[in-house]
Amino acid sequence: MFIRKTDTKSMIISLTNTKEKKSGMPIHNAVELCSVGRQCRFLKKSEQNSKDSAEYFWALNDVSFNVYKGQILGVIGRNGAGKTTLLNIVAGILTPTQGKIKINGRVFGLFNLGVGFQDELTGKENIFLNGSILGATKKELNSKLRCIIEFSELGEFINMPLGTYSQGMRLRLGFSIIVNLDCDTLVIDEILAVGDLLFQNKCFERLMEFKRLGKTLIISSQSMELIERLCDSVILLDHGQSLFLGDPVEATNRYRALLNTEKFFVGPVKKNINLVENTKKWTDDISNWGKELGTKEVVIKKVEFINKFGWKSFKIRSGESLRIKTHFTVRSKIKEPHFGVAIFRNDGVYCYGPNTKFEGYHISELEIGNGYFILDYYKLFLAPGEYKISIAIWDKNETIAFAYNHGYYRLIVEGDYNVGNQLIKIPFICFPRKFIIKDMPHPDLNILKDKWGSKVNSEGIEMQFVKLLNCNDEECSILTTDDPAKLAINFCKFTFNKDSYLWVGLYREDGVYCQGIMQPFNSGNSYMALFSKLSLLPGGYTFSVGVWDNSARKFIMSHHAVYPFRVVFDQEDHGTIYLKHKWSWRLP
Amino acid sequence: MAIEDALLDGKKNLWRDIFCTDIYKEIFLKRNLIQELILKELKIRYSRPFLGFLWTFLSPFFIVIIFYVIFSLFLKVKIEEAPFLLYLMTAVFPWRFFQDSITASTTSLVDNKNLIRESNFPHYLIPISISMSNFINFLPSLVILIITSLLISKGLPVFILFLPLILLIHLLIVIGLSIIFSVLYVKWRDIKYILEPLLLMLFYLIPGFYSLRLVKDSLPPPLFDVYTYNPLVGLLSLYRISVLKGFYSKMAWDIKISTLIFITLSFAIIIFLLGAYVYKKNRYKINDYLSY
Repeated sequence: MFIRKTDTKSMIISLTNTKEKKSGMPIHNAVELCSVGRQCRFLKKSEQNSKDSAEYFWALNDVSFNVYKGQILGVIGRNGAGKTTLLNIVAGILTPTQGKIKINGRVFGLFNLGVGFQDELTGKENIFLNGSILGATKKELNSKLRCIIEFSELGEFINMPLGTYSQGMRLRLGFSIIVNLDCDTLVIDEILAVGDLLFQNKCFERLMEFKRLGKTLIISSQSMELIERLCDSVILLDHGQSLFLGDPVEATNRYRALLNTEKFFVGPVKKNINLVENTKKWTDDISNWGKELGTKEVVIKKVEFINKFGWKSFKIRSGESLRIKTHFTVRSKIKEPHFGVAIFRNDGVYCYGPNTKFEGYHISELEIGNGYFILDYYKLFLAPGEYKISIAIWDKNETIAFAYNHGYYRLIVEGDYNVGNQLIKIPFICFPRKFIIKDMPHPDLNILKDKWGSKVNSEGIEMQFVKLLNCNDEECSILTTDDPAKLAINFCKFTFNKDSYLWVGLYREDGVYCQGIMQPFNSGNSYMALFSKLSLLPGGYTFSVGVWDNSARKFIMSHHAVYPFRVVFDQEDHGTIYLKHKWSWRLP
Repeated sequence: MAIEDALLDGKKNLWRDIFCTDIYKEIFLKRNLIQELILKELKIRYSRPFLGFLWTFLSPFFIVIIFYVIFSLFLKVKIEEAPFLLYLMTAVFPWRFFQDSITASTTSLVDNKNLIRESNFPHYLIPISISMSNFINFLPSLVILIITSLLISKGLPVFILFLPLILLIHLLIVIGLSIIFSVLYVKWRDIKYILEPLLLMLFYLIPGFYSLRLVKDSLPPPLFDVYTYNPLVGLLSLYRISVLKGFYSKMAWDIKISTLIFITLSFAIIIFLLGAYVYKKNRYKINDYLSY
C-alpha cells in the first residue's frame, strides 16, 4: 500500500516514495524534476461574444533539475515567469501536465504568509491548525510550541486573534511554524521580503542551519542579493522555460540582462515577442547555389547592385552603403507574398538574410505585371571577400517560393586586407588608443586548430581577467543584438616582447571566425575594445585572447575559444550579422 | 500525470479502484487534522457571537416555535401518531443538520481556497469536517429532543437503541452528499443556486408537519411505495420510531422498520462510495478550477 505508517507525511509524497524505491532514485537527491511542464487555461473575455474562449498556454515548460540533499536552489525570473507554479509543483499542490517529479521525504511550502491562516483564531490556535495541515502530529506541535513562539518573537500577541496581525507578524508566525517543524525539503515563495531586516537575517541564519543539517531548500526571491548570498545553484525562468541553471552570480547577471531587454507581459507567448536565442540558420548548403528555384509564378528579371555613388557595380567597399534592386514580373496573381534577400559567404556561411515577414511588413496581393523591390543597407560591415546573394519571393509561411534564385548573384566586397578569412568588420574603438599599424601581421590561425576551448599559458604573462560588459558597464554573458558592448582584458603580470601583439578573435559557436582585433602589446596592463553596436544575431559566440610574436607564427599565450557568451534579440532573423537596412518597393 | 501513475503503478487493484479503500485509510490517518479542522469550524462559528455555543440550542428552537405557531395554532393540523410539538421537532432538528451541512459544504472548497491552494492535504477533509462540526451542533438539540419526548410522552421506546445506527446512517449520507456537491461546485458554480429550491422541495416532500397516513390515503399504493423509498422519508421515520413512544405501533402497518433500515443504510453506503469516487475522479482538477 502506498500510505506509510506515519500520518505525518502527506499522501502524495508517500506515494512518490514507494515509486522511488522501484525506480531507484538516488538517495542523495531530494527533488528530481524531469521535463516537467504545466499547461494552464488562459481565459479571454471577448467583447462581442459573451462566451469565454479558452486558450492554453504553458505556465511551465520542460523544466528539469535535481536538487541534492543540503542544497539550496534559488528560482528567479520575472513576474509570471512560472516561479510559483514550479514551487507549487514541487510542494505537491499542483500536478504537472507533463513530465515526472520525484520527491524524497516531507515537503513544506510557504507561499502566502502562512498556510490557511484563519483571522478569527488566535496565533496559538493557528499554530495548531497550520501545523496539522502541514502534517504534524499534535504531540510534535505541543513539544515545538515554545520554540515556535520564541522564534516568532510575537510575545503576548500570540494570544490575539490573527486578524489583528500585520503582514510582517503573519510572516513571522508562518515562517516560525514551517521552520521549526521537522521536514526534509522546504519551499519558500517570494515572501521573505515582508519581514524586517533583523528578522530577515534571522531567517537567513536559520536557513543556513537547515543546510548544515542536510535539508533541502528551494526559494524564489526578487532580491538578487539574498539569492547570491544563500543559494548554491540558481534556476532562471522566463515564460515557463528554464533559461539557465547553475552558478548564482551568472544566473543573476543573466537575469539582469533579461530585465534590460524585454518588455513585461504575462500570458501566452507570442512568437515575435519572445526573445530569440538562436538565429534560424547559420550555414547554407552550397550545392544548391546558382539554381533558379521556385514555382515560377513570379520571375526575377534583373537584380542591380548600386553603390554609394549610385552606380551599378558588383564590387563595393567594406563599410559602404549598398542598394539591391530587384525587378520582377508577376505572371499570375498571388496572395500575401514576402520578399527576402540573403547574403552568403562563398563557403556557405550565412551572413544575413532579412525578409519582409520578420520585420512585420504585410503585402496583401501581387497583381499581374512588373514591379521592383529595393533593399538598402546603410553600412555593409562585411569583411572583404566574395559573397553570393539569394533573392526570393516567398508565400506567407515561407514554405513555397514563387521565385527563388539561390546563391545566384555575385558580390565582391573590397577592402584593405582579410587574413584568416574573417566574416565581418564591426566598427570598434580600442583603448589605449594607439596608432594601429596597418600591416600588422594576422595570426596564423592554423596553429590554433587543435587548441579549441583550451588555455595555453606562458610564464611571462598572466591574465587577471577577461570581462564582457554591457552598456551599463555590468559584467554579463548575455548581450542584445545592436547594443553597445565592451571587452576588457587585464594582465597582472606581463613582459613586453618587442613587437608582440595582443589578438582577440570573435568566433561563432560552430567555429566560424567572425572578426579579429589586433593591438600592439606594449602599453600597460589594461586593454579594452568598445563596440558601439554589437551587430551579431542571436546565438552562441565565444572569443579567444592571445599574445603573438611578430612573426605571427608563434603564440606566446593563448586562450582559444574559452570565453563564451550569448546574444539574444527580440526579432527572428537569418544569419550571423545584423545590418541596418530599409525596404521599399513598387508593386505592379 | 506522475502521481496518478504512481497510484496505478504495479497491479491494478480493482477492489481499491471501485471502493476507494485508499481514501478511507487516509481519512483514518488524517483524523488528527480532521479534529483540528472541526475545532476550527466550531471556534470560528462561536467565538464572536455573545451567546456563543447557546445558539446551537436556540436557533432550531426558534424554527420549531415558528412552525408550531403556523401549523398547530393557525392551520390546526392534527397528527394522530404523536404530540404535534414532538412530531415537528423530530423533523426539524435532523433536517436542519442535513440542510446546514449540505449548503455549507457545497461552497466549502471555494471558501477555503487559501487553505487548499497552499498545501497538499486532501480536499475532501473540508466537507467532512464541516459535516462533522454540524453533526456536533446537532447532538445537543437531539438530547433536548429526547428529554422533551421523555417529559411529554412519559417514556421512551425500545427502538432508542437503534439511535446510534440511525445517526451513523444520517452522517454517512450527509458526508457523501457534501463531498459530491463540494467537488462539483468547484467546477459548476450553478449548483449553489440549484440546491436552494431543491432542498426546499425536499423538505416539503418529507412528512415533516403532515402525517404519513395522509400521504397513504391520497396516493395510490404503487406511488406510496415510491414515496417511502425516499431515503430521507425513511430516515425521518426512523428518528421518530426511535424517539417517540408508541409511534412504531401506530405506523407498523405502513412500513416495517427493517425495510426502512435497509433502504436508508444501502443509500448511505452508495452515496458515500459515490462521494469517494467523484472525489477520486476530480482530485487533480480541483486546484486548477480553484485558481480563477
